[in-house]
Amino acid sequence: MSESVLRVENFSVDYGVGERAVRAVTDVTFSLGRSEVLGIAGESGSGKSTLVYGLTRLLRAPGVIRSGKAILRVGEDSARRDIDLLEASERDLRSLRWRHVSVVLQSALSALDPVRRIGKEFDEVLRYHGQGKSRAERRSRAEELVTMVGLKTDRLDRFPHELSGGQRQRVMIALALALNPDLVIMDEPTTALDVVTQREIIDELRELRERLGFAMIFITHDLSLLVELADQIMVMYAGRVVERADSADLYSIPRHPYTVGLMNSFPPLTGEIVPMTGIPGSPPSLSALPRGCAFAPRCPLASDRCLNETPPLLVEESRSLACFNSSSSVRERLVISS
Amino acid sequence: MRVLLRRFGVYLLTAWVAITANFFLPRLMPGNPIASLIGKLTGQVTPQEVRSIQLQFGVGLHSSIWQQYWTYWVNLFHGQLGTSITLSASVSSVLSSQIYWTLGLIGVATVLSFALGTALGAILGWTRGSRTDSLIPIATFFQATPYFFLGSVMVLVFANNLHWFPDLGAYDPNATPGWNWGFIASLFRYAQLPVISILLSSMAGWMLGMRNMMVTVIGEDFVLMAVAKGLPRRRVIWHAARNAVLPSVANFALAIGLLVSGALLVELVFNYPGVGNLLLNATLNEDYPLLQGIFLVITLTVLGANLIADVLYYWLDPRTRTPVAQ
Repeated sequence: MSESVLRVENFSVDYGVGERAVRAVTDVTFSLGRSEVLGIAGESGSGKSTLVYGLTRLLRAPGVIRSGKAILRVGEDSARRDIDLLEASERDLRSLRWRHVSVVLQSALSALDPVRRIGKEFDEVLRYHGQGKSRAERRSRAEELVTMVGLKTDRLDRFPHELSGGQRQRVMIALALALNPDLVIMDEPTTALDVVTQREIIDELRELRERLGFAMIFITHDLSLLVELADQIMVMYAGRVVERADSADLYSIPRHPYTVGLMNSFPPLTGEIVPMTGIPGSPPSLSALPRGCAFAPRCPLASDRCLNETPPLLVEESRSLACFNSSSSVRERLVISS
Repeated sequence: MRVLLRRFGVYLLTAWVAITANFFLPRLMPGNPIASLIGKLTGQVTPQEVRSIQLQFGVGLHSSIWQQYWTYWVNLFHGQLGTSITLSASVSSVLSSQIYWTLGLIGVATVLSFALGTALGAILGWTRGSRTDSLIPIATFFQATPYFFLGSVMVLVFANNLHWFPDLGAYDPNATPGWNWGFIASLFRYAQLPVISILLSSMAGWMLGMRNMMVTVIGEDFVLMAVAKGLPRRRVIWHAARNAVLPSVANFALAIGLLVSGALLVELVFNYPGVGNLLLNATLNEDYPLLQGIFLVITLTVLGANLIADVLYYWLDPRTRTPVAQ
């Protein structure tokens, strides 16, 4: 974990330009080690998807990258080089994409071309990245990949609409691993699936990661899921990172009130049953952010200072936190106050 | 495959209904048009021709309508559509000599318009919001202009005044029709202006439809994924276009139905031979056997074209291949 695959510094994304631009992602900094799993959690509209689409330059208009750096390290040893994804030319990006960074989206049904057989998807990716000289060679690689994610090889001859949701998502995962990428970005890959399938896929992902050693950014709003899968967890709110820590630390001692709220909104996949409380209110509109801490209006611990001043993200070795109430255990105080 | 067979069955049924309607319609007309026709023509045509018209419409015959219906089908399968009153020739021979002109000019131009318009629309959709969008109002202007007017102005300006294109007609009157180079070259020369006029007046629809569909499809995840996979731009556009073209294919089947009314105008403006001109003359001269034959051919052509479009759609969109449960 000493060497990082991806280093992101002061990354910001706007929607629109000029006066009316909305800040979707503000000043995000993190680094991701080789074979490491970074979990990003947050509600809808917290900027977690915008963050990764921005980093991979897949952002659609009117999304604009305002500032920052995203250094991707590719290649081994002497052939190693650093590429700033945000500065890379269209051509460099094309050869980088999928070979080094691949993406899995939430809805596998819409992510697969509806009029093509699954096998074609594999064939195309391998062919355009110059792997597998003959069709038969690419086919056998595709068979290897779908077998790896627990599918029968005859699925390759099917169309996307002929597969179940879980099968489709497995196809997407196999496809994402086709070129042995250094980094796989998963944008809520299990959100649309039932709990049992979700469980299976998470287990599979963990196993595949151990075997193939790719790094992963895993986006979800389900914190309990991340605790099982991720090495590090980053919690985002209104486009900012509010807390970042090793997943075990974050789970046992969450320090940001928002993290606590998220944690209480989801039943853990394992362990005893606890009553769910959730977070009152809804996330703020990014075009009309409150003056101080964006979470203050929903925070049970908010003070006058929180309403007037934006808490900076204090970066420490084991944890980063953007909250004025960090001195004592937030969880205890929250329990008392509720 | 079962879906396709079922579709085919529907087409057969439709064809039967159309052919049957074609048989009954003249017989249901008030005032017995056939009798008045024969009365009007007496002396101008040979007794054999009168007899054949009578046979065809069952006038002055004492067979039952069901017997007539049976005879009608038997004749149909032998390619006998009766005798044209005004042209004194069998309807099938008149039609077969004229239909190639229509298919050759209007058919080719319609397919060309679809192909060009759709390709342009795909590009416009991809480059939406850029300067290429200015093509849309120009194309729409030409489509909004009544064809009769547009065609006439084109003949006047480009053929009569500027002499860029030959005058009216389908080929050089000095060329001998047949498989010789001079004749074929003149065919192409004479077809240019009508084809251009058809393209101008009909391309905008295809273009706009494809462009808007492209804009929608580009928003889909699989297009984003195509970019994320590091595919070249051409390939990404292909992915989007391949999906965006589906509604256009369905519309194309409908457009074939309008081909005939289009043929009438084009052939009139450019004094081009074909079914359109034939239809006009048959109507003006109350040539019922010919009209009936034309309607039959039109119906079958439209049905056939729709069937082709259906098969094409079936092949293009795998989702239509799964029969709906229950």
